[in-house]
Amino acid sequence: MGTLKDRYCVVGVGETEYSRNSGRTTRAMAVEAIRKAMDDAGLGPKDVDGMMSYQGNDSTPSLIVGPDLAIRLNFWMDVVGGGSSTEALIGLAMGAIEVGLCRTVAIFRSMNGYTEVRIGGTGTRAAAPVRGQELAWRPYGMTSAGQNFAPTFMRHMYDYGTTSEQVAHVKVAHSTHASQNPKALHKERVTVEDVLNSRWIVKPLHLLDCCVETDNATCLIVTSAERARDLRQRPIHIMGVAGRVSKPRTDFHFAHGPISRVAGYYAKDIVFPMAGIGPEDVDLTGSYDAFTFTTLLQLEEYGFCKKGEGGAYVSSGSIELGGARPNNTSGGHLCEAYTHGMNLVIENVRQLRGTADDYCPGWAEGKHSYDYSPGKCRQVEDAEIAMNLGWSTPATGSALILRR
Amino acid sequence: MTPTKPLPQPDAESREFWEGVKARQLRLQRCRACRRFRFYPRAVCPHCLSGEFEWVVTAGKGTVYSYTVCYRPAGEAFAADVPYIVALVDLAEGVRLMSNLIGCPPDEAEVGMPVEVVFEDASPDITLYKFRPAAP
Repeated sequence: MGTLKDRYCVVGVGETEYSRNSGRTTRAMAVEAIRKAMDDAGLGPKDVDGMMSYQGNDSTPSLIVGPDLAIRLNFWMDVVGGGSSTEALIGLAMGAIEVGLCRTVAIFRSMNGYTEVRIGGTGTRAAAPVRGQELAWRPYGMTSAGQNFAPTFMRHMYDYGTTSEQVAHVKVAHSTHASQNPKALHKERVTVEDVLNSRWIVKPLHLLDCCVETDNATCLIVTSAERARDLRQRPIHIMGVAGRVSKPRTDFHFAHGPISRVAGYYAKDIVFPMAGIGPEDVDLTGSYDAFTFTTLLQLEEYGFCKKGEGGAYVSSGSIELGGARPNNTSGGHLCEAYTHGMNLVIENVRQLRGTADDYCPGWAEGKHSYDYSPGKCRQVEDAEIAMNLGWSTPATGSALILRR
Repeated sequence: MTPTKPLPQPDAESREFWEGVKARQLRLQRCRACRRFRFYPRAVCPHCLSGEFEWVVTAGKGTVYSYTVCYRPAGEAFAADVPYIVALVDLAEGVRLMSNLIGCPPDEAEVGMPVEVVFEDASPDITLYKFRPAAP
């Protein structure tokens, strides 16, 4: 079977306002995000015939959203999932088009992630009865994402001497990026001390090590490279993709050591060979930042630094704008908005187009100052290849490599 | 009203395990084919796929592999417990399990510390296994 490298493109991106008080239904938000992505691509209702979404009982399905946009679907699929679904669904959309199920797929995620269903694990989610494998953790007060990931982060500190100060630099870098992003929820730049002085949530996570739960909807549109040539935007080609790659023992991954190893260890061996490149060829990354640590752990596993040297790497300036390989130039989940991965891919698409929406007056025409001082630019100069490192849990992740 | 903590509902695979805990024993399944212990209880050995096993009472001693201190609780039911420690414990029998580390100040928890099992009644039917720093 021939390779699909460079044969599919992301042609449209869109999102609603990022807020903590949308006052809207996920249906209305999904419609807005998809419509913006269609306008971005120059596509009308008759041009989109596939739709996919992911959700955790907190969204509105494609069969409802599609008709709101006057779209008749030849293919749709709504799956359960959060982080790491973005890249996986992009790969599945390529497959759906490749086998002829449809021609163009709109992928969306719509969530009132602050005002309705929070990932923090409080409320009804914490009170349900414990069945089967859940006996291994729930009776002991382990429910939220932060709680479940924390032993992995703690063991990384033990195995490699990683410090809270080093990891705080992830938040510092992403807050610097967010300060150049008019869409970002948290635009203020923070310091290492700000992170370390914020209250404990779940050790070793301080409040500012955690992402910002958000109400929002987001959309990415995928079609063939052939069709992409006739559309409004410069096509962004998909070089490689890996979806929901998992460690052994996903039912209780802590049983399989070392737990400071995460799923990217396996995903890298799929995505890099498919793309025909290595980490040294990547100009910017979108390493999922549900927490500061998730960014660090994945950068290690994908080979952007050596295993165990993530603390030194993220505190070296490499991941900041102007550094060797900036990460999450929109501010990511820590500062722009928590979207379960979508905004991190959307940002990389805009970066590769050269039209990151910063405070440069000519950003929409690709005119940037590349001045990364406060209130100015966040465009990476001559960005050719971008990579997303999607995270679900320590045990499951996805990856995507894009080029302009 | 304070919500109640989520408690195990023993099923066909785990009933023997929970009956053991109620009797103040940490019984684990050991595969009759490859002789390895496993946790949590299930029908088939995750190492060799054999369905033949026996229940063995463990010594309940191990070391902390990793841990976290929860300052924000997993729901209201755990609100009175913060800060509480959740630890991964490597038992001498070769399995890793998760539980609370009690009787240990949050700042004194550390990777590698020796711990031993202790039992706490959570309801008339359910007892939970927890760990505390091992007596020297």
